[in-house]
Amino acid sequence: MALDLNFILRVLLFPGFSFILTLTLICDWIERKIKARMQNRIGPTYTGPAGSLQPLADVIKLLAKEDIIPIGTQAFLFRFSGLFAASIFMFALLFLPVDGASGVFSWSFEGDLILVLSLITVANFFLFLSGWASNNPYSAIGAARILTQFLGYDIPLFLLALAPAFLAGSLSLSEIASSQLIPFAALAPWAFILFMITLQAELEKDPFDIPHAETEIVGGYETEYSGRRLVFLKLAKDAQIILGAALAVELFLGGPYGPVFFGSSAAWYTIWFMLKLIAVIIVTEYMACVFARFRIDQVVAGNWRILLPLSVLSLAAALAIDCWFSCAVR
Amino acid sequence: MVVNKVQEILNQIHSKLADFILKVEITRYGRPIVHLKPEANREAIKCLLEAGENAGLVAITGVDAGSSISLLYHVRVSGKVITLKFNLPKETLGIKTISDFLPGADFHEREVADLLGVIFKDHPNPERLILPDNWPEGLYPLRKEVDEDKLARILNGRENLYTEEIGSAENRMVKIIIGPQHPALIEPEKFTLEVDGEIVRRVKPHIGYVHRGIEKAAEKRTYLQNIYLLERICGICNACHAACFCQTVEELLGLRVPPRAKYLRTVILELNRIHSHMLLLGHMGLEIGFETFFHYMWRDRETVMDIVEMLTGNRVLASYITIGGVRRDLNYEMIPKIKEGLENLRSKIPFYREVLEKDPTVKMRTRNVGVLTKENALKLCVVGPVARASGIKMDVRRDEPYAAYDEIPFNVITYDEGDTWARLMVRLEEINESINIIEYALDHLPSGPYGVRAPRVVPEGETIGRVEAPRGELFYYIKSNGTAYPERVKVRTPTFANILSFIKIAEGGGIADVPAIFASLDPCFSCMDR
Repeated sequence: MALDLNFILRVLLFPGFSFILTLTLICDWIERKIKARMQNRIGPTYTGPAGSLQPLADVIKLLAKEDIIPIGTQAFLFRFSGLFAASIFMFALLFLPVDGASGVFSWSFEGDLILVLSLITVANFFLFLSGWASNNPYSAIGAARILTQFLGYDIPLFLLALAPAFLAGSLSLSEIASSQLIPFAALAPWAFILFMITLQAELEKDPFDIPHAETEIVGGYETEYSGRRLVFLKLAKDAQIILGAALAVELFLGGPYGPVFFGSSAAWYTIWFMLKLIAVIIVTEYMACVFARFRIDQVVAGNWRILLPLSVLSLAAALAIDCWFSCAVR
Repeated sequence: MVVNKVQEILNQIHSKLADFILKVEITRYGRPIVHLKPEANREAIKCLLEAGENAGLVAITGVDAGSSISLLYHVRVSGKVITLKFNLPKETLGIKTISDFLPGADFHEREVADLLGVIFKDHPNPERLILPDNWPEGLYPLRKEVDEDKLARILNGRENLYTEEIGSAENRMVKIIIGPQHPALIEPEKFTLEVDGEIVRRVKPHIGYVHRGIEKAAEKRTYLQNIYLLERICGICNACHAACFCQTVEELLGLRVPPRAKYLRTVILELNRIHSHMLLLGHMGLEIGFETFFHYMWRDRETVMDIVEMLTGNRVLASYITIGGVRRDLNYEMIPKIKEGLENLRSKIPFYREVLEKDPTVKMRTRNVGVLTKENALKLCVVGPVARASGIKMDVRRDEPYAAYDEIPFNVITYDEGDTWARLMVRLEEINESINIIEYALDHLPSGPYGVRAPRVVPEGETIGRVEAPRGELFYYIKSNGTAYPERVKVRTPTFANILSFIKIAEGGGIADVPAIFASLDPCFSCMDR
């Protein structure tokens, strides 16, 4: 295969690795700032304009720290599970259409939605392994909690993500995004609301931040981590937040598409994408601020008794709408 | 009438246990003491527990009286404290335990066993409580022959007095160790939880990490110096310790405090209460993962801190109360400022009440979590908001008014639920009551001096003092020997009385409930250990 400069640039610069990394850090800052303002604090102010470089400074600081691998850990898993989790989340992000084209790869295939959702599952499993590999009761319980919680929300997440797929008649993310003349959030608001709730659980944000409930189990699965291993765990979490929010944008909020006023459509699409992404993040942070944390048994019960039936219903409703729509069009 | 009630109880015990009673006296301070033979301790306490409502053990004080050790059981009956006194010769330091029928006596007995070497026969759990595991055998710090220097030599010669315990898994049970360093605990103390999955099966407390020997140190300091020492038992409720100590010493001195000082004491004590309750409610938010609630509460708490600073010159350790009155007067210009701050605080309370009552997640985390029934609460001898949340109407401010509480109207808040939520609501409503009390006190502030000079030497005698600290009933016993130094100062903090209930209500719950239950009891280790 000939060396394709454009392809390399897309992977490395935009909308690939560098862009995603920057977006991750910016979103981390926005999150912290919003949370702080909601809690009547100021948040980061010192590093960079309005503290916007604080997440970068944190990463650099942690990278410079001593690398400690505690005795009794499963060394290989302990070393690499954070790295794997972070890179899988990033890899999954490459499939999301950011500037109107289909992701980093110029080819988008029928079924990449399923691939992205599966990658989320795999990456979450690596987060679980990171806790499991460290020889620490807090981590063990944190890891067990990830898995317990994850079993509950993974199936609803899948089902809810299928509703837009039915409406668009495609399993390809770029197809789904581009077929939304009216955003699916307006067409099937119940599915969107449920998706946002499930996303909150998937992102381990309050009221679902059970796997790292610090007053109960210290740092949860990341208790034993420090330095650069911790950076990758943190990056994995941040990338997961972007991925989750981006999925909501692509599936329900019309993807990167929006009005183009002048100039390049790709630039406008990127701006629309980011604005929508930030809006989703603001909503998740808002939810995180106004709730107290659930208990794990309450979450599991809620997932199986309420969320799962509701997501099946919402899928059925989406199908009904789809049928009615196609009949009406015909 | 009250005296009649006490007299009635004394008559009752006299008729039942006439053979064992050596003397029944009402001291010149008006405190009833029953001198008994040691073999009758169980019967005497059972008799007292049945004699009136809300009966429970307040404290067990041991005093080294030369050839013997006097053991004083302070029992609360119908709001009054009756003291049972037993003399144990040092050769045979045995007395039967009462913690089999009154589980709340467990820690009290173990503390006396640790510090004075009294053996409680048939104690269900006769392990060390306050002293470290490898403390030398036969060295009892509160005995008179053990001086401070000797203790210092022993402590300096030994390192690592605590045995290490690392979390491990046995069969299905995982041992989770909370503390000595843990994000849920701000102070060092250790609780070993044995968990089966997410369910807590057993809780084992290890307390004593911050035992500073304050009771021993108090014997080497003058009464005036002791105010500042005893205030440092607990930073949050420091004014209560000063108030309780000062009023006990004033009782020994026969000193009458001027009315203005009484009102000013009430103001600072209630400010202390608001500050402590808000601190706890905020902390509670953090424990159930509700950070926003925490930040809001602590922001509003600053109002109280500013008022305390204006009144006393310091934000936390106020050192405001002194023997004979208070240390400085209230400036009339301060009154509108204090009222403004309190008004601001009062306007926030409906919002917090709404959050606690209506928020679904708070409801899920606190309602029916860690239920302490009234029956169990009495058995475990809990005090303060914890007892009031279980439906026990108990408040020293009402039962035995001190400072200006006999002249100020206020309500005793009780809830019947006994769960974590009720314990929070009691505190929230008490903030409101405290604001009312302070405003009433400021409106009716008498003129006159704010203190009288107190003599340095205290005549011989022994008496008790009680104050309703934010966390519950604070109890002091002081024995003076006619010099400027006390013979014995016993401090029973409310947290020490409440901590035992944590073990009982955490067992059987989930791990996620442990921090919530724990915080709702308002633990404070520095005052628990002293």
